[in-house]
Amino acid sequence: MTDVTHEFDHAAVLERCARGEHDALHQLYQQEGGALLGVVFRIVKDRGMAEDIVHDACLNIWQRAASFDPAKGSARTWIFSVARHLALNAIRYRDREINVDHSDPAQFEHDETFQHALRIEEAFDWQTGQRMDTCLQALETERRNCILHAYVDGLSHAEIAEHTGAPLGTVKAWIKRSLQRLRECMA
Amino acid sequence: MSVSDQHGDDHTLAGEYVLGTLSPSERQAVEARLTHDAALQDAVMSWEERFAPYTALATPVAPSAFLWPRIQRSLNAQTPAHHPQKAMPERRRLFNSLPLWRGVAGLGLAAALVMAIMLARPPAPATPEYMVVLLAPQAQSAGWVVQASSRQRIQLIPLGTFEVPEGKALEFWTKADDWQAPVSLGLVAPGEPVSIDLEALPPLEDNQLFELTLEEASGSATGLPTGPIEFIGRAVEI
Repeated sequence: MTDVTHEFDHAAVLERCARGEHDALHQLYQQEGGALLGVVFRIVKDRGMAEDIVHDACLNIWQRAASFDPAKGSARTWIFSVARHLALNAIRYRDREINVDHSDPAQFEHDETFQHALRIEEAFDWQTGQRMDTCLQALETERRNCILHAYVDGLSHAEIAEHTGAPLGTVKAWIKRSLQRLRECMA
Repeated sequence: MSVSDQHGDDHTLAGEYVLGTLSPSERQAVEARLTHDAALQDAVMSWEERFAPYTALATPVAPSAFLWPRIQRSLNAQTPAHHPQKAMPERRRLFNSLPLWRGVAGLGLAAALVMAIMLARPPAPATPEYMVVLLAPQAQSAGWVVQASSRQRIQLIPLGTFEVPEGKALEFWTKADDWQAPVSLGLVAPGEPVSIDLEALPPLEDNQLFELTLEEASGSATGLPTGPIEFIGRAVEI
């Protein structure tokens, strides 16, 4: 129990949370608080909002710890997915309130400013040494960028289109097909 | 336009849900299905596992010092049985009479007016040594300002109005870095400036935390903040 950094047992901590041990949540926070805040901040891009979401995520993890099933996946993945989805919900619902309706592809496809030559440099230093790397590698750079802009930056289809200069319809199709190819590759 | 094959459909949908590219209504629909659709749950979990390594692309950010205490308070509020802290001694609850505060004269001033006054000339007695801007955590908008004309006396000045729900009250708290727990400075009425004597407390120090939480109408029964933080800020030496 002396070295928690290398062998932190996320599943055991969730189990203790499920039993009502506050200390377990504190240990989890000490271990992953910075990483969770980093992931959430990257998505919501607002420090105060990011801390609110990590606060909510911790309470969510605490309340739902008993529902975590180690047979279905890793505890660390589950913990991060709770925080990520809170962040995604927060920005999607916020943007729906203050922004134009992003669901109208025509508006973007007919806008010539999006027809620029595509920037296709790598947008991310993305290699993590996991098996998924090989599958991402097999995608064209611009498609890989779309996937990572969505997953890491939390960008919507329209924001990715704006960011990369690709038409909205193309971005949507690229992401769909990339997901299909990634799944085949990982099968 | 969409040419996805039938079997791939839910897997792609799950992938888009995990990526975050679904529209709010599509997200809600997926979340509704996830409560009972085991196949979709599995598809989502598979995508979560596949993409999880790339959470490492986001640089970690060190949380502020008051994030954990805030989580802990929410935790304590949820599970009173696990409440480990002892209540603050009664004498430390300096002001807890709402009628008293209601009696303090003065209406809420518009934020711009207060800021204009404060920027134009220092308040009467002396140049404040410390200042705190209390922000609403959700909106990141300033709600109150604390000014200290000495290290023993502070003024809490509203920058706007605040709707206190029926049966609730705003309770004002402070905590310096090395204190064990926050100390109540009493209930405050929204929209009304208040002067508070800190005689019973150590002198005000840099970075001292101030917050307003929503409590029961009679104030927190435990002597510690239990309700949500409505406004929060730290003292800055000026």
